[in-house]
Amino acid sequence: MTNKSGIWTEKYRPSIFSEVVGQDNIVKRVESLTNSLNIPHLLFAGPAGTGKSTLALIIVKELFKDNWRENYLELNASDERGINVIREKVKNFARTKSLGNVSFKVIFLDEADALTPEAQQALRRTMENYSNTCRFILSCNYSSKIIDPIQSRCAIFRFKLLEKKDVERVIQRIAEKEELMINPEAIEIIYEGSEGDCRRCINILQSTASISPSITPELVSTIISNTKPKDIKVVLDYAISGDFQKARERLLDVMLKESISGQDVIKAIQKEIWNLPVEPEIKVKLTEKTGEAEFRIIEGSDPFIQLQALLVSFVLAGLGK
Amino acid sequence: MPWTEKHRPKNIEEVRGQNPIVTKIKEFIKNFPQKKKAILLHGPPGIGKTTLAYVLANETDSEIFELNASDLRNKDKLKEILKPATQQKSLIKKNKIILVDEVDGISEVDRGGITELLSIVKSSPYPVIMTANDIWNKKLSPIRKQTELIKLKEIDYRTIKDVMISILKKENKFIDNNILTNIAVKAKGDLRAAINDLQTISEIQDPSTINLDERNKETDIFNSLRQVFKTKPTNDILKVFDTVNMTIDEIILWVEENIPAEYEGEELARAYERLSKTDIFKGRIYKQQYWRFLIYENILLSYGISSAKNPDKKVKTNFTTYNRPTRILKIWLNNQRTEKKKSIAKKYARYVHVGEKRAMSEFPIIKQIIKTNSEIQKELNLNEEEIAYLNNESHKH
Repeated sequence: MTNKSGIWTEKYRPSIFSEVVGQDNIVKRVESLTNSLNIPHLLFAGPAGTGKSTLALIIVKELFKDNWRENYLELNASDERGINVIREKVKNFARTKSLGNVSFKVIFLDEADALTPEAQQALRRTMENYSNTCRFILSCNYSSKIIDPIQSRCAIFRFKLLEKKDVERVIQRIAEKEELMINPEAIEIIYEGSEGDCRRCINILQSTASISPSITPELVSTIISNTKPKDIKVVLDYAISGDFQKARERLLDVMLKESISGQDVIKAIQKEIWNLPVEPEIKVKLTEKTGEAEFRIIEGSDPFIQLQALLVSFVLAGLGK
Repeated sequence: MPWTEKHRPKNIEEVRGQNPIVTKIKEFIKNFPQKKKAILLHGPPGIGKTTLAYVLANETDSEIFELNASDLRNKDKLKEILKPATQQKSLIKKNKIILVDEVDGISEVDRGGITELLSIVKSSPYPVIMTANDIWNKKLSPIRKQTELIKLKEIDYRTIKDVMISILKKENKFIDNNILTNIAVKAKGDLRAAINDLQTISEIQDPSTINLDERNKETDIFNSLRQVFKTKPTNDILKVFDTVNMTIDEIILWVEENIPAEYEGEELARAYERLSKTDIFKGRIYKQQYWRFLIYENILLSYGISSAKNPDKKVKTNFTTYNRPTRILKIWLNNQRTEKKKSIAKKYARYVHVGEKRAMSEFPIIKQIIKTNSEIQKELNLNEEEIAYLNNESHKH
C-alpha cells in the first residue's frame, strides 16, 4: 500500500503494522493494544528515523480508520513556543469528544524531551486533566530526559537503531518501484551517510535520484558531502595563513548561510585543530584557547566577537607563536 | 537650471583648484602643433575636465567642436562627423578645439572607433582634447601612447566649500556652515556632486531639518576611532566615546569592524582580547542586570583598545578610512533570505510529520528533492516566491 505523495518518505511510509521494518517486538505489542481499541499513554523512545512517528500514525489510522484526521493532533515540542502554547492547543482539541466507537482522541507530542523538566511537570497535569478524553503518545530520543512521573504514566517502548539489512531492504524496495539502478556499494554509502536514520536514507536516495536514475556510489557521495558544512576549515586556513580579514569575513558568511550557532562553530574548530599543520605544542595551546572562547561565549553576549578573538590566536599560531 | 550649468566657470579666473593644470593646457594650445597632437585629461568625475576645455577655448578665442559619449562613435560615424570638422575652419572664431569627451566610454559597440579617432587626430590641424575617468583600460592603450596625459586631481574639500559659498552668495541664500562642511567632505573631491547636493539642500524650506545627524554622528565616531587607534593612550582616551551620540553597543560594532584595519600580530591579539572582555562584561550586565559593569565595558573599549599598540612604536599619522559596521546589515539581509527557507521547511515539516528544526537542518537534501519536482512543490502548496527561492539558490552553487 502506498501513499500518493511525490515525497518518498511519505510515499513509502508504512501504513499498516506488517510493513514496519526492524521493530518486530514493539509492533507486535502495539498492534495487540490497538486491536483492543483501548491504548494507554505511550512513550516512544529512540533515535531519529526508526519509526516512532510512523507507528503513531498507524495506530490512529487503525483506531479511527477514515476519521483519523479529526481525532489526531500532532505537535512538536521543539517547535511550539513553550508549554503554554501546547496546553492551549491540547485544550482546544480535547474539548470535543471523539466520534465513533473509540472513546478517546490521540495527541502525538514529538520531541517531548525538548521540554524542560518544569514544562514537563505542566504537561503531566495536562495529561491527567484530559485523561478521560485523550491519549498521549510522546516521542523522545532519550527516555532519561523525560521526568519520572510522566514515564510512570506511560507504556514505554524503546526503538532500536535500524540494522543495516533492514535499511538495505527498504532502499532496495524503493529502488525497484522507482526503477532505479543501484548497486550494493551505493546502498552501503547511503546507509553510512544516514547514521542509521531511515528517513534520511530515503531522502538521500530521492535527492540522488533527482539527478539521475542511475545511483552510483560517486553520485551518492557527492550528494552527502554537499550537505555538510566544511567551510570552517577554510576559515582556519585563512587565519593560519595570516589573512585575518578574510578569515572573519568567511566565518560570518558560514554562520549566516548555514545558520549555525557560535557553539557549533566552536565544536567544528575544536575538531579541526588536529588537522592543522602546526606543532603539537601549539595544538594544545589552541585547544585551550578554544575552550576559553567557548566559556566566554556562554559568559558574554556576542559569540561573533569571541570567535574573532579566537581566530586571532590561529593567526598567531600561523606565525609559530 | 542646474547650478552646475549656471555657475560653470566661463574664464580661467573662475576655475578653482586646478591651477597648475591650466598653465599646462594653455601651453599645449599655444604651441600647437607639437609632436603629440592631443591631450588626454583624466581623473575622477566632477572635477572640471570638460569645464577646463571650454574655459580654455574661450581664453584662446576658439570654437569648440564636441563629441561626447551620447554620440555613436564607431569608425563610420567618426569619419562622417569628426573628420569634416577637422577640415573646416571656424566661421566665427579665430581657432578651433576638438573635444572628445569620455573616450573611455567608446565601447565595443563603436567598433574601430579608437583607431579611427587616432588617425583623425594625427592629421588634425587643430588641437584635440580628450577626457576620461579611467585611462588604464586596455583598449585605451593606443590612445595613452599617442596623447599627452594630464592627470587632474580630486578637489580639496576646502576649495569645494569656498566654491559653494560663492555660489550661495550669488544665489542670495544662506546655509549653515556645518552643513556646508558636511557636503564638502561627503563629496570626496567631486565638485559637481557637491554643487548638486547644495542646490537640493537649498531648495528645502528649512535646511536645518534635514537629517544631517547621521553624518554628524559618523564624523564623531571617525574622530574617536582615530584617537583610539592613532594616539598614545592617555587618560583623555577614557572619555573618547562620551561625545559620540551612539549607544555603547553600536560603538562596539564600530571598533570591532575597524580593529583589523589598524592592528596586526600581537597588537591585533591584545586588542581582541580586550574587545572579548568588553563583551563578557556586556553579557554579565544583561544576565545579572548589574549596570555598574558598564564602567569596565567602557574602559576596556576605549583605553583597553588604545593601549593594545606597542608602546615603543611610533604613533601612526597616516589617514585611515574607517568602515561602517556591516555585520548587522548582513545578518538582516540573511534573515530576509532565510525567511523563504523557513517557510518552505515549515510546510515540508508539517507534511512529512517531522519537526521544523530538523527540516531546517536537513534542508540541503530536502531542497534538492523539492526543487527538481514540481509535483512536490504543488503538494506542499509552495507559492511562487518560495519556488523562485529554490531556483535562485541553486544558481549560486
